[in-house]
Amino acid sequence: ISKTQSATKTAQSVAVRSFGISAVYYLSFTSFFSPIYYLSLPSQPPSLPVMEDQSSSYPSQPQPPPPAAPQPPPQSPTSSEQPPPPPPPAIPPPPNSQYPLPPGQNSYNPMPYPNNDPNQMRGYNHNQGRPSYGQSYQTPNSYQQQQNNNQHQQQGQGQYGPGAGRGEANKNKNHQQQLPQQQQLWHRMKQAPGAGTMKFNIPKRPYVMTNQSFPPGEQPTGLAATPSSPAAAPAAPGGAQTRPQDWPQAMKEYVQRCFTACENEEDKDRTEKGLKEVLQKRLQDGSAYTIDWDREPLPELKAKQSRWEAVPTQRTLESSVGRGGATRGRGGGARLGHYRNVFSQRSPSSSSSGSSSRSPSPSHSRHRDRNGQRHRRSDSESQSDSSMSSDLRTQLPRRNQKGGRGRGGDRDRGRGGGERGRGRGGRGNRGRRNMDDANSTVLGKKRKGGNAGLDFHDPHREAKKQSRAARFHNTKMRSEPLVLSINNLELPKEDLSWDDCPIVGTCQEITKIYLRLTCAPDPATVRPVSVLRKSLLAVKAHWKTRQDYPYACEQMKSIRQDLTVQGVRTEFTVEVYECHARIALEKGDHAEFNQCQMQLKALYKDNPSENIGEFTAYRLLYYIFTKNSGDITTELVYLTAALRADECVSHALSLRAAWALGNFHRFFQLYRRAPRMASYLIDKFVERERMIALRALFKTFRPDLPVEYVQSSLGFLCLDSCMAFLTGLGVTFFPSDPSKIDCKTSSASLAAS
Amino acid sequence: MAHITINQYLQQVYEAIDNHEGSFCAELLSFKHPHVANPRLQLASPEEKCQQVLEVPYDEMVAAHLRCTYAVSNHDFVEAYKCQTLVVQYPFVMFAVTLDLRIFANNAEQQLLRKGKGKLGDMLEKAAEQLMGCFRVCASDNRAGIDDSKKWGMLFLINQLFKIYFKINKLHLCKPLIRAIDSSNLKDDYSMAQRVTYKYYVGRKAMFDSDYKPAEEYLSFSFQHCHRSSQRNKRMILIYLLPVKMLLGHMPNHQLLRKYDLMQFADVTKAVSEGNLLLLNEALAKHETFFIRCGIFLILEKLKIITYRNLFKKVYQLLKTHQLPLDAFLVALKMMQVEEVDIDEVQCILANLICEGHIKGYISHQHQKLVVSKANPFPLLSSSS
Repeated sequence: ISKTQSATKTAQSVAVRSFGISAVYYLSFTSFFSPIYYLSLPSQPPSLPVMEDQSSSYPSQPQPPPPAAPQPPPQSPTSSEQPPPPPPPAIPPPPNSQYPLPPGQNSYNPMPYPNNDPNQMRGYNHNQGRPSYGQSYQTPNSYQQQQNNNQHQQQGQGQYGPGAGRGEANKNKNHQQQLPQQQQLWHRMKQAPGAGTMKFNIPKRPYVMTNQSFPPGEQPTGLAATPSSPAAAPAAPGGAQTRPQDWPQAMKEYVQRCFTACENEEDKDRTEKGLKEVLQKRLQDGSAYTIDWDREPLPELKAKQSRWEAVPTQRTLESSVGRGGATRGRGGGARLGHYRNVFSQRSPSSSSSGSSSRSPSPSHSRHRDRNGQRHRRSDSESQSDSSMSSDLRTQLPRRNQKGGRGRGGDRDRGRGGGERGRGRGGRGNRGRRNMDDANSTVLGKKRKGGNAGLDFHDPHREAKKQSRAARFHNTKMRSEPLVLSINNLELPKEDLSWDDCPIVGTCQEITKIYLRLTCAPDPATVRPVSVLRKSLLAVKAHWKTRQDYPYACEQMKSIRQDLTVQGVRTEFTVEVYECHARIALEKGDHAEFNQCQMQLKALYKDNPSENIGEFTAYRLLYYIFTKNSGDITTELVYLTAALRADECVSHALSLRAAWALGNFHRFFQLYRRAPRMASYLIDKFVERERMIALRALFKTFRPDLPVEYVQSSLGFLCLDSCMAFLTGLGVTFFPSDPSKIDCKTSSASLAAS
Repeated sequence: MAHITINQYLQQVYEAIDNHEGSFCAELLSFKHPHVANPRLQLASPEEKCQQVLEVPYDEMVAAHLRCTYAVSNHDFVEAYKCQTLVVQYPFVMFAVTLDLRIFANNAEQQLLRKGKGKLGDMLEKAAEQLMGCFRVCASDNRAGIDDSKKWGMLFLINQLFKIYFKINKLHLCKPLIRAIDSSNLKDDYSMAQRVTYKYYVGRKAMFDSDYKPAEEYLSFSFQHCHRSSQRNKRMILIYLLPVKMLLGHMPNHQLLRKYDLMQFADVTKAVSEGNLLLLNEALAKHETFFIRCGIFLILEKLKIITYRNLFKKVYQLLKTHQLPLDAFLVALKMMQVEEVDIDEVQCILANLICEGHIKGYISHQHQKLVVSKANPFPLLSSSS
């Protein structure tokens, strides 16, 4: 037994390590995002889908019944307690009863807005696979937390940095949590279709990779190289099948308290391990349902009394504040001070341990269940938020007295920075490696499956060695069921389309201010097509009389927006875009013009318009402007004979041919004959072409060139504008006859310029 | 190995990995290999089996591969693409799997487009991102040993990326890749096949950028070193090499055109060398679709300039003087049925020719004459530019 124990231990520690890495990776990555991205994080589904696959294949693989393997569950129960912060959209902070379903059954869809996007759906379904995780996952809070963590880390010193920064981070957090508006925003963001999905690519991959894995503890990781090992392992643990959701409420709260008390990962790890042991026992013998959990001493935050003793006063203060502030709104300032003290006491060694834990090979982390970790992280965070209670306070000392092995400075750290702990603590699981020194017995019990092959005597050395060995062995054979996470891959076509959630506006206002949508559209503020028709007329009339572009642009944009959100793609839509494109073109608003052009190109596929030629011509001209011969070629491929015959298109084509051959004479002739609004586009590059032509002229003609000729061949409307252009370039004229250009000297000066 | 069982197959993969038989392993994961048609391997959920036999992460790769074969057998290329992305995530037997990835992306895109979903190029862009990921892994391999450096994978990936970028018309994305190869000390040591492909694309890019001299160089290298049995590739190279060569004054002979079934160029060639603008216009119009699809229409169009030069040279040879009245050129152009041509346009065309060095001389606006150099007024095309 001892063999297997140690083997599993090491396996676990490896898992934990890799976990640590992935978490860090994740954190550092979040830090790159500006707040807005950050806000939209929760909507990002790709991270979720993982779980579904897992759960679906989960049963097929023999496996330790979750509760018996106490590692992951201890946290899950807590997570089921809805973190008080921002309630997930449309769902009141659910009591546990909200999750009657055992993991794996997906019937509960937390999405407030029906959402047909397959991606999204998938994502959310995953949540249901593990309701508790999903739940906490949804709360923005967890992200916030990570962000905070980030900040900690960025302070170079990481957790041990001076308290100020941390405090700041916490403050931020509190801040955000307190602001209902913020929350609102969050939820809305979440809903905003496509918003989340698209945002990052980076995290996707990790998630994809992590799919196959289970929360590190749950699986017998394998030194056991035989395929049978996965089967063997699960049998061993046996034990209560109770799911976190089924746990007594008091027990959940207890677990929460435990984690609340944790300051950092190591604490969490320890707590987790201890909890596992205790809870498992309790669940098995049934005392879990009878015991007074409120009185139950918090487990094993032992040791390092000396440090601890110094803190308690602050501690109490802190927690009382916490209570007062309704879990979330704990006052920042006062506590900050305490933190600082606490931190200053912190031993540097702990920091190193923290970092080292994270360092081990990233490759492992890929196979670890990042999701699980993340969820857990958020869980614990939420717990700590919600459940810092007076009980806890009273219990703390007790715990201390218990004393314990190897907890040293960590605990201290953990305590002092209550909040920080939360931030950190979430990652607790990472710290699993610490389990090695603590409850190996539990582990042993749980998984017999492992590694009979290794036998060590010194528990600690042995553990270390094994963890090293296990790292290698671990890579060899997959211990968790392999799940191809194919469905996670986001496909371009799967963007959420407006067609999927049709709304019909009810707003009757003719004009409307354009606001960028940051949330699901409200039908009350969206105008139906009938109203929009009037709006368009009004804008047109206004434009004709006032020529007020900013106003027109805004109105057009809001019309476009209303059409988009209602999924209207008809001739009227085409008309709107054409109108806006023309106005934008007239005023030289590139950005809007191109946007309209893009849309029109797509719209014309379904809604042939008589103006299709006109806008195709504009596109061609625009490519001339950008000198994009590749796009011109592509455009030529798709030109039908009918289109080529169109007045505008044929003009554009001739102009293009003249331009390509440098036939400026013809080019400027065509310029002056440009149909419709083509000349606005040609204006964009007419100067450029004039310069080229002028160079050729000056180089070719000798000895002189009459200005009239230049004027006519370069398409100047009058002599004066031509003269202005020429003198602007420093062209020399013959002193004897100012109407003649001295080509030789002018050519030189032009070349020099 | 007709219709081996899944276990046999997995055993083969296992042994191939174990014995470091890279190429065999690549075959086993490639869609060029017949095993992909084996219905016994086309499994919807091969994960468990793979997991039992293979180590991490090979099990995932192989499982994804098998699922991919399943998807392909169902003609679901979108699914196949998704599976393949999983195969590609590990830089292992990369050549085979990335090639397949690109092909699937292509097919998937076609499939999506047929269904009216998706946007042109989206799928390929996604695939390109994946390949870029592999490329970065290769490019950042800074280990000392050059023999087994991952950098050897760069060129292959670049070629795959080129294929995508050319397809989706994002040539500007090629630039950093080219720079990476230019600065690589391995650039002349890659396999010839890869170098041929690489030069082909770089040559095409140079051609589109109007850098004809380097384009000719790259494409010529590519053509000369292309394996003789790869007639199709040689033809493709020629499609771009010919216009470039013609622009630089080298006309292809009939034999070559016939050999590679490129008779579309025959009339063009003839027209250009004769200065027969009319014939050129007709030839271009006649094969316009072909030329446009190959992306060379705009290049061939530039041959008109050469044709003007040859036409005007004939005028010069007829008139036998160094002071050529502009009217003579006008007559010539009208003979070629150029629409709405006037004396100003003649001056314009001449100005361009002189400016580009195709004619040595100047125009006297006052006398409406072209005065050409007494020595070599129409320098050889191959020397002028």
